[in-house]
Amino acid sequence: MRQAFKYFGTVAGFVMGLAAVSSPASAQQSLTLICSVQEEWCRPMAEQFEKETGIKVLMTRKSTGETYAQLKAEASNPKVDIWWGGTGDTHLQAAEDGLTEAYESPMLPQMHDWSAKIWKQSNGRTIGIYSGALGFGYNTKMLAQKNTPEPRCWADLINPKFRDEVQVADPNSSGTAYTLIATMVQMMGEDKAFDYMKALHKNINQYTKSGAAPSKATSLGETTIGIGFLHDYVATAVEGAPVKIVAPCEGTGYEIGSMSIVKGAKNLDAAKKWYDWALTPKAQSLAAPAKSYQIQSNKATPVPAQAPKMEEMKLIDFDFAKYGSSAERKRLLARWDAEVRNAAK
Amino acid sequence: MQTQQAPLSPRKASVEFRAVSKLYGKVTAVDQVSFTIQPGQLMTLLGPSGCGKTTTLRMIAGLEIPSAGQIFIGGEDVTLRSAADRNVSMVFQSYALFPHMSVLENVAYGPSVQGLKKSMAEDKAKHVLEMVGLKGLGERMPSELSGGQQQRVAVARALVLEPDVLLFDEPLSNLDAKLRRRVREDIRELQQRLSLTVAYVTHDQEEALAVSDEIIVMNNAKIAQRGTPHTLYSEPADLFIVDFIGDANITDVVIDKVKDQQADIQLGPLRFTLPQRGLGQGPAKLAIRPDAISLSADRGLTAGVVSKAFFLGRLWEYTIETEFGALFVTVPGRAAPFVVGSSVMLDFDVSGMVLVHDCPDKKM
Amino acid sequence: MFLSHLPRSVLALLALAWASVLVLPWYWLSSFDATSLNGSLAAFWLVAHGKSVWLAGLLLPLFTLSLVLLPRLSQRQIAWLLSLGGLLALVMLLGQGFAIGLRGWDWPWVGQIVGTQVFGAIPIQQGLGFGGYAYLLAALMLMSQGLARFGLCRGDAFIVSSITLSFGLITLFVFFPVSRVLIQSVLVPDGPGGGTTWAFAAALHKLDDPSIWGLACLSSTRNCGVVWNTLFLGVVVGAGSTLLGLAFALIAGRSQWPFKPVIRLLSVLPIITPPFVIGLALILLFGRSGFFTGLLSEWFDIPRSRWIYGIYGVTLAQLLAFTPIAFMILLGVVQGISPSMEEAAQTLRADRWTTFRTITLPLLRPGLANAFLVGFVESLADFGNPLVLGGNFDVLSTKIFFAVVGSAVDESRAALLALILLVMTLAAFWVQNVWIGKKNYTTLTGKGDSGLAAILPAGVSWSCALFVIPWSLFMLCVYGIIVVGGFVVSLGRDYTPTLKHFETAFKITPSDFGMQFSGSAWNSFFATLEVAAISTPFTAALGLLIGYLLSRQKFSGKSVFEFCTMLSFAIPGTVIGVSYILAFNVPPFEMTGTGMILVICFVFRNIPVGIRATMATLSQVDPSLDEASLTLGASSLTTLRRVILPLLRPAIITALVYSFVRTMTSVSAIIFLVSAKYNMATTYIVGRVEAGEYGVAIAYSCVLIALMLAMIILIQLFVGDRALGRRKAS
Repeated sequence: MRQAFKYFGTVAGFVMGLAAVSSPASAQQSLTLICSVQEEWCRPMAEQFEKETGIKVLMTRKSTGETYAQLKAEASNPKVDIWWGGTGDTHLQAAEDGLTEAYESPMLPQMHDWSAKIWKQSNGRTIGIYSGALGFGYNTKMLAQKNTPEPRCWADLINPKFRDEVQVADPNSSGTAYTLIATMVQMMGEDKAFDYMKALHKNINQYTKSGAAPSKATSLGETTIGIGFLHDYVATAVEGAPVKIVAPCEGTGYEIGSMSIVKGAKNLDAAKKWYDWALTPKAQSLAAPAKSYQIQSNKATPVPAQAPKMEEMKLIDFDFAKYGSSAERKRLLARWDAEVRNAAK
Repeated sequence: MQTQQAPLSPRKASVEFRAVSKLYGKVTAVDQVSFTIQPGQLMTLLGPSGCGKTTTLRMIAGLEIPSAGQIFIGGEDVTLRSAADRNVSMVFQSYALFPHMSVLENVAYGPSVQGLKKSMAEDKAKHVLEMVGLKGLGERMPSELSGGQQQRVAVARALVLEPDVLLFDEPLSNLDAKLRRRVREDIRELQQRLSLTVAYVTHDQEEALAVSDEIIVMNNAKIAQRGTPHTLYSEPADLFIVDFIGDANITDVVIDKVKDQQADIQLGPLRFTLPQRGLGQGPAKLAIRPDAISLSADRGLTAGVVSKAFFLGRLWEYTIETEFGALFVTVPGRAAPFVVGSSVMLDFDVSGMVLVHDCPDKKM
Repeated sequence: MFLSHLPRSVLALLALAWASVLVLPWYWLSSFDATSLNGSLAAFWLVAHGKSVWLAGLLLPLFTLSLVLLPRLSQRQIAWLLSLGGLLALVMLLGQGFAIGLRGWDWPWVGQIVGTQVFGAIPIQQGLGFGGYAYLLAALMLMSQGLARFGLCRGDAFIVSSITLSFGLITLFVFFPVSRVLIQSVLVPDGPGGGTTWAFAAALHKLDDPSIWGLACLSSTRNCGVVWNTLFLGVVVGAGSTLLGLAFALIAGRSQWPFKPVIRLLSVLPIITPPFVIGLALILLFGRSGFFTGLLSEWFDIPRSRWIYGIYGVTLAQLLAFTPIAFMILLGVVQGISPSMEEAAQTLRADRWTTFRTITLPLLRPGLANAFLVGFVESLADFGNPLVLGGNFDVLSTKIFFAVVGSAVDESRAALLALILLVMTLAAFWVQNVWIGKKNYTTLTGKGDSGLAAILPAGVSWSCALFVIPWSLFMLCVYGIIVVGGFVVSLGRDYTPTLKHFETAFKITPSDFGMQFSGSAWNSFFATLEVAAISTPFTAALGLLIGYLLSRQKFSGKSVFEFCTMLSFAIPGTVIGVSYILAFNVPPFEMTGTGMILVICFVFRNIPVGIRATMATLSQVDPSLDEASLTLGASSLTTLRRVILPLLRPAIITALVYSFVRTMTSVSAIIFLVSAKYNMATTYIVGRVEAGEYGVAIAYSCVLIALMLAMIILIQLFVGDRALGRRKAS
């Protein structure tokens, strides 16, 4: 008898568990969101939106590349409604592939120019929600041990004294590093840019897989200098790491974090609601408490004190349309692979 | 084994094979075999290893499904029926006692999987254990029993289901020589007491002669001969049987003349008249049983020289060189011994001599 | 009695088949159409309402099957009806499912034949629901019943059903998705207009690439091709882990050391450590600002360097991770060697060293080959360690990952690289088979062995110790820093003790409604636990069943079947993940976004270990035990339950533990399959590592390690040992 109970209990448990895992989302109005910024920022956004609208947010955090791969694989039957955050050029690629939907938000007039520009370039399929400048950070302790002058410009990084002291991501896996290539090409012209990167290659200790990894390595002292988006370095400095951020003197490029509605979204209305809401100053001011110090796209959003001041930097006029296209990207990466990555040190 | 009122009353059923074949890929294990085992009969399948006897047995059990032909048990076509759906039990060569169950659980397994209540199944098992003389050992694990005891558990486990047919697959091969004799007597006694229909596989001809009502000798996937033990011994169908059932000296002879189904043959300088057994004039084979030759120091038909001599207690085994070849001879152990190298005279008993066909295939 | 010519199982299956079209909802109910009529009706009523009229075709096979209810049919006629009816039902279901998709005809040629008269211009349908799956199951099972009646598998319907069911499952969840992704590798998009063409030439061209095959590292400082890197790493890790595992196994199995329990514990820890954590610990110990690097530079003026990033670091991390598996394999073999053989050698005047060299080591050969193979294959598939520690050292698994999710996405390149990896893995299996050969290594027989195991020669014992002691200390350091990492503010920077990380992840706040799990990790923690708890028993059960079928039953197509079961093990997780999305995001088998797809993915990824363990254990169990049970009138199912399973306990434990642990710790396959409701612990940890919150990641890992240890002990207690009544050696 006890045995019978045991069997029954086990079977019943499974059936219930099975029913639980196989039941799809509930019928209440909901929104499936993929968030490609840091989890701490994703979470309050989703919670706040739920609170204000009563729409249930099913949020998953995935990296930009993972999201793009998923959207592409799911194209014939999308499961995601909206994709919020992540490097703009991947959003542009998705737009180019027809994976996302055009939408004109009533909030559009309140946006910074860079945000509206990417919206126009993508025929309304993606809009900028934040931007961050490219630059580098260095570990002050390590630098002091080295006895080298503080680097201030891109040109300082190819100083032979920094041999094996600079870290940057691999552009094949990271959008951050691709932004660096695109920036250099636009600032110097393509051939000169590649000469610079070949020179820089001698000082690179490691091409990391993730764009944000050099900032962590810099904060731990695993490398003296790390190249990446400045807001990542600000975040480590705020946590107490001996890191100083540098906006290079020659000028620099920047990324535009974007947002797109997925084509064929099952909850299109909810997606549009999120879209409009995420562009309000109120929603955008959730970034700073989550240690995300990017510049927000709404002109009215207050800029946190720690954030790198964009207006004090020399920002280039980044051509997202050209450098975001798949063809140009493939060409530049192939050249980088051939001439830089495989070059002798 | 105690003689006691048997609690079991198995149904007697016949087993019939109709042109049954079994192929494994391109290898024919059993080739067009037909036979019938009468109800209550103990039939032995005898043959060298690889002759198809075990496959035949497994097809009765339902552990193999024939490639062609039909199998009937108790008049019912069971050809495609699975082992679990046939009322046939089997005693395995390795006994196949479940190592994680006690002796009692092993024997009660059959009734309990048939849906009998646990207590009833165990009562039944206890009865049968008592019948095979293992009373009180039910709580032991199989690994704690001797070989002979394990064998009896295996028999008890097979008997408890009161099968239509009981199968034995070389049940004695894991026992020592003395135990073998006792167990085979027990099996025979049990079979006759309960009038079980039994199919019994062995490669040991002595064992087969001792236990069987009838024997089927198999060779190369076919039935070589079928008959009572005595028939096989005295009237072997061919050289293979002669060689397999009992020892024999095979010699070349010439048949001079055939008359009234008797043949006059010439063996070296000697002449005999033997039953013709379908043979014609010309060269033939003669089988001489080793006990059909007697030895003496001075009297006999022909002379020879002792080249080997072994004393086995019950018997003397001699090899004698004669002008028509070496002969293997057995003599009762009480007889006076001959030393190696001495000359002896040989005499022949024609009842221990038989003319035989050459093997259909010369594979010997 | 009426219908007495049919067993209850056939009647029940027929009832299920009819229920699947009359009662159960045919389509998958998803949130966006729960309100529409389409989603909630059974097939018959859909047709009756004039929707999805092609489903009417499904009724025809059911009528055929139901003919068996007629009285006075011969067994042969029933066999034909069931087999053909079942087959027809399968063809109908799959045909309509694949032909008509979400947006109209998926097979336009069928549409052209049918025309637009009957089904409308653009017929659409969703993925199968309960009704559809029930129909599929019933059709498959009824067909098996029919085939069994032709005498297949000794006429045993249970065995035939098990084979067709396993075959069906493996085809659906391994072969189907894998073939989808391989087809993808030679399909080239036709431009923006959509449509694709086959392009073998283009695919082959992609193979010709110095970054894959280049040998530049031999002659210059540049990097070699990724294939050579992978191969080299695999061989080094395979050999290294085998050697270390052997040293540990000899010490644990053949010496009188007092520290053996410690070795045991150390051998389990890496297996249950979530990925990334070992790599992280190595950076914190040996990175440029690492603990030991600091000590060395302060005390001995050894300059700080980055040697850990690259092949050395990856090798070290993989050795740490995979040595325990080699140890467990070799310990079993060391203990299994019959002492009598060694005693026999000694009576032949061989001294201890000669005995060890000529008897013990050669008998270890299959164990060594297996340990090497497992180490090699695990190294090939590992993706966490190269990601964290690889530096500029690329291996296939990371290349594949970034070909799928990197900034230069190229699925066909990913598929090709995956194919190369697959070929390497399969080649390793083949070489192992050749090497072990057909020699007999059986040392475990039914007969008791009362000899005493030979004591290790002193030289061997000391050289083992030379490996074991430093390595054990090293492992203690690694796990020391992992534990410390969970309880300090920031590893490498600030060693103030704190419980902050545990609080962030696992905070529980009491509220008016009882306890509220407000920590950020609870969500993924519960989801992981749920998925692991459900997939583990299924993995073990299916693994045991397939292992039993493969080792005990004869059927055609067996070797293909066996190969397919190994496929999901040999293919890198990232590729499996993508293949699952490609295969299961569209009708007829649509299940992305549910927890079900995670469960299924885990079941079929972890199943090979259960199969192998079962086959290995069954090879030691005399087949006449099963046969004895069958002749005693027990069905195959009863035999499996009452005779085989109790004897398979060691295999059951292996399968349960392995699949549970793998479900808790694997990353790559599921990274695409997780959804908002079903986020998994490991993806959460990866997220923390990416965000640089090592503390939280390590704290979470500590909790998972404790949980898995508890679970292993529980499984051991619940399943228990097989009691064979053998006297225990004192």
